[in-house]
Amino acid sequence: MSLNSVLQIGASGLSAYQTAISVTGENISNVNTTGYSRQTAVLETAPQSTSSGGLSLGNGVSVVSVQRSYDAVLQKELANAQTGQGYDTTKSTVLQEIEPSFNEVSTDGLGTAISDFFNSWQDLTSNPAGTAERQAVLTAAQNLADNFNSVSTTLSNAVTSQNSSLVTLTDSINQNLTSIAQLNSQIKVIGQSGGDANELKDQRDQKIQDLAQQIGITYTENSDGTTDVQYADSGAALVTGSQAGSFSLTTNATTGLYDVNLTAAGGTAATTVTPTSGTLGATVELRDTIIPGYQSQLDTLATTIATKVNAQQQAGYDLTGTAGIALFSPATNAATIAVNSAITGTSQIAASSSASSTGDGSNALTIADLANDTTAMSGSTFSGYYTSLVTQVGQDGQTSKNNVTQDEAYSNQLSTLRESNSGVSLDEELVNLTKYQQSYQASAKLITTVTDMMDTVLGLIS
Amino acid sequence: MRISSNTAALNAIYNLQKGQTTLNRLTELTTSDQNINRPSDDPTATSTLLNISDALNAINQYSTNITKATTSLDATNNALTGISDTITQAKSLVDSISNGSDSASDRQSAHDQLVSLKQQLIDYANTQSGDTYVFGGTSSATAPFSSTSNSYSGDSNQSKVEIAENSYQTVNITGDRLLKGSGSNPSYGSTDILKTLDNLISAVGDSTTTSDATALQQGAKDLEAGATQINNAQIDVAARMKRLDTMSTMNTNNKTTLENVVSDIQNVDLTMVGVELSQQQTAYEAALAATAKISSLSLLDYL
Repeated sequence: MSLNSVLQIGASGLSAYQTAISVTGENISNVNTTGYSRQTAVLETAPQSTSSGGLSLGNGVSVVSVQRSYDAVLQKELANAQTGQGYDTTKSTVLQEIEPSFNEVSTDGLGTAISDFFNSWQDLTSNPAGTAERQAVLTAAQNLADNFNSVSTTLSNAVTSQNSSLVTLTDSINQNLTSIAQLNSQIKVIGQSGGDANELKDQRDQKIQDLAQQIGITYTENSDGTTDVQYADSGAALVTGSQAGSFSLTTNATTGLYDVNLTAAGGTAATTVTPTSGTLGATVELRDTIIPGYQSQLDTLATTIATKVNAQQQAGYDLTGTAGIALFSPATNAATIAVNSAITGTSQIAASSSASSTGDGSNALTIADLANDTTAMSGSTFSGYYTSLVTQVGQDGQTSKNNVTQDEAYSNQLSTLRESNSGVSLDEELVNLTKYQQSYQASAKLITTVTDMMDTVLGLIS
Repeated sequence: MRISSNTAALNAIYNLQKGQTTLNRLTELTTSDQNINRPSDDPTATSTLLNISDALNAINQYSTNITKATTSLDATNNALTGISDTITQAKSLVDSISNGSDSASDRQSAHDQLVSLKQQLIDYANTQSGDTYVFGGTSSATAPFSSTSNSYSGDSNQSKVEIAENSYQTVNITGDRLLKGSGSNPSYGSTDILKTLDNLISAVGDSTTTSDATALQQGAKDLEAGATQINNAQIDVAARMKRLDTMSTMNTNNKTTLENVVSDIQNVDLTMVGVELSQQQTAYEAALAATAKISSLSLLDYL
């Protein structure tokens, strides 16, 4: 046992506490970094040596590793929660954008236009030959067609915007996949050289969380520190080690919309997939199922009203005693429905049911009564059918809004748990900082003391 | 549980956000004074509200129909009163000379009076409500009666309006039923009043022609039957107006009931919302104060 070895002990303390302070510094500076897991310098006594006197004496301290606080199970829970939240949030946002078109509660929309249209025919029955009443019918018909067109446009715009949002969405997914694969390969290299790569792992885990919000995934952590990611909807490999799969879009010839294709990690051929989870799943579902569902109900309503009114108008006679012509054309869908361009004047409204009696209003009354026909829309009136469409939009909106609230509460709880485990506490770090600083000072004091002792010994010699 | 620096921040953000959302909702309720501002607020109530709004729309339309029908029936009623008065005048004139008159000037005067009474009757029979002749059936273009011919140029179609769902009311009385005594369902009588007047005019004679007492007496009888015919029509109009009135009251009652339901669903209980709002405000302020206080705590201040 020499004084030199005591000096060594002091030096080991200085170096260990310097490392510990640097870890603390890393923690403090990353207190607000998303996905950062706090790190701890693990101190251990240096391997001891046996001195000449047979006494066991230590060789100081060393930092054996820098550990990150990380809970793999919690991370997986978080990823699942992200997938649910991504799906519900996207759905809720888009449904809220559509809802105003169906908001009959606060404003007058298509529902009022339907009532007004049939009411204008009622008015006509009181004065079948009146120009003002006839003009009112034409105006109400125009207004009805305009309302159908406008709601239909909103819906088809929503489909188009969902479709085009797939481009940026798949780009972003591909970027995440590439990043995860790159980080995997870096982590592997550092791991092979004996390093910890804590920061890279945090970054990769954060990318996985981001990815989980966009698509449903499952992942497995390998012993070499890398993580393999699989696609939950099809089981295909998205990331295997340093290889990343990718999503691509091709325009479907029939629908004119994008098909989503997936090239698995390490694969070459792209196969068409139907995403059902995450933001991507919600976008595709909105585009292919939910919005077209509303659209088709709207089309059915527009077509049936047009067909029934046209048939009755053609069964009647106009002010000149001529048989009536179709009021709406073409009567095929809500997007294109319009007042027949052949109707050029108010006299062409067929209010009469007899060619000889032009002042008769019984045909107008029959058309007005179509509004009460409960068989018109397979068991409901036109207004009733539209009301149930509005209710459905409202119900879908409410459900997804509630889901988002629940998802947020769940995510918040998981985040709190993650923070509790992995988050940086500044107070804690400041205490550590003070502690390590004092230890560093003490180690330095040890060295000066040994130096003094050495001086004393050297003094003996001279 | 270990609390990290961000735990407090995360929770504060989450809870403040929740508080803001509640405040926002309460503010919306207060300012819009509507419980349901969009279908997703309450889909079930939305469905009820929309159904009621359809029903209210229909009721309003039926009320408009009733008002218009009443206007037309009022005009009809006025014309009928005029016709009835005219016939009464003709009757008293005929009664005064029922046995004929020897005085040429009396005969001429009675003749002239009867001619002008007939013209007056035709004028009443051509009464218009808006653009339509009230006794012309559904052919509205031409006047139903003329002074030159006793024929009726209208049709016998009766127009209907809807006064409640699937409930209709006939509005017009056609001239053929009224003055020509033809037509059925309803039939008011079978007297051709115009022809009766013509018969009387020729029976009473004039300054050169003597009166025909038999024909005069027959004419007086026929005129009596004509008066009953007009009276029947008046009773029919009164019955129709009574029905319209009843339906109008029923519609108003229905409307009130439905509007009450709407206001039950839709109207915000401002007292309750006010109390909730002030509670929520206090809670939110407390949350803000606590957040501010805790966020400023740091060991750094003491090192």
